[in-house]
Amino acid sequence: MPVRSHHNLWLREIKDLIRGISGGFLFGIPLLYTMEVWWVGSAAEPLRLLSAIALTFTIIVLLNQTSGFRGTADVRFSDACMDSTEEIALGILCSTCILVLLREITLDTSLKEALGKLIYESIPFALGVALANQLLGGQQDEAQSQSNPQPQRKNRLNSTLADLGAAFIGAIVVAFSIAPTDEVPMLATAVSGPWLLALIAASLLISYTIVFAADFSNQKKRHQQQGIFQDPFSETVIAYLISLFAAVFMLLLFDKLGFSDPWSTWLRYTLILGLPATVGGAAGRLAI
Amino acid sequence: MNQVQPNSEESPTREAKVSRSPAEWVTFGVASVILATVVGLVLYVWLGQQDQQPPTLSVSHDKATRQVDRQFYVPFTLVHQGGKTVESVRVIAELRINNVEETAEEEINFLASGETAEGAFIFSHPPQDGELSIRVASYKLP
Repeated sequence: MPVRSHHNLWLREIKDLIRGISGGFLFGIPLLYTMEVWWVGSAAEPLRLLSAIALTFTIIVLLNQTSGFRGTADVRFSDACMDSTEEIALGILCSTCILVLLREITLDTSLKEALGKLIYESIPFALGVALANQLLGGQQDEAQSQSNPQPQRKNRLNSTLADLGAAFIGAIVVAFSIAPTDEVPMLATAVSGPWLLALIAASLLISYTIVFAADFSNQKKRHQQQGIFQDPFSETVIAYLISLFAAVFMLLLFDKLGFSDPWSTWLRYTLILGLPATVGGAAGRLAI
Repeated sequence: MNQVQPNSEESPTREAKVSRSPAEWVTFGVASVILATVVGLVLYVWLGQQDQQPPTLSVSHDKATRQVDRQFYVPFTLVHQGGKTVESVRVIAELRINNVEETAEEEINFLASGETAEGAFIFSHPPQDGELSIRVASYKLP
């Protein structure tokens, strides 16, 4: 018995961490595609960086009183402080991974610049982690989904279309705000070859985690979806393809891609904008 | 970017935390190490003397010139060996052949301490036949 409860505690902790990371990505990814944040971070003096960490910590301690990323609520101030430390650390980890993936932090980047970039970019991530429970709730629809058994065959097509539509709209909303900016062409010059493959893998992993592993609301319902492509893996892949389509659509709309551009430019721009679009698509699927 | 409407109601299944589990303590330990490392590195950068020094920029053109069609590409490397990060660094190249003068300009958006930037100037005359000078013209502090 003790072994089993010990095992459960670890499982619950991992679930909490995954929920926190997902919240961080939902909130933080769109802000990662803002070059001014990279520049301000690069040039920021150490005192300003320390102030940024202190300010974020203060805000997050307050957020932890109502939200947080754990399944349990923080009643004591010391717990809120400890959770805040974890949220900032998760924010730093996630933003570092994405900045490395987007080649904004490389082995050639100076220590000061790398620190500035990752600290400034970790702020929205840490806020997202702290808002994880608030962003899309957690587990509350269990009773609701039990009282509403999933309709069988006749709604399969409808629910598939609803999911695909939600993924498309979510992806459009996020891609719309990033496509007209210069960040996509700028990142495209730095990201190539194996990094593009890593970007595809990261997009799929983040999308799957947010929708199927983070224990946000609707997750049970999502696992039980009866639509055509709706086992978790194929739904993740289809939603990714739809998000890429939304990204292409937005890039064409804002004239960032033209038919005279080489196919490699199309591929790079689409995959780079595809990452935030996929996160938007995941949020869209959870929202319905 | 708020693509998701916050849910104002807290989850009814969220119970108050009684005590931290060993798993939560491990997470807290790892998180503290990460945060302490980042804060420590910021302090290291702060206390290190390099930050107080003014910018020092130097440009070199050691690599071979490349000719494509009737254009001559002269690669250059800009190195920031000083302290403070600089913005809008302008590098100017002037090529004098007999009485003809060609100039080329490049602006580097951003250069932190220890960073290098590479690029190339393009001339329509062969640089080896004349007198080529490449220099850093200006920068601004952010």
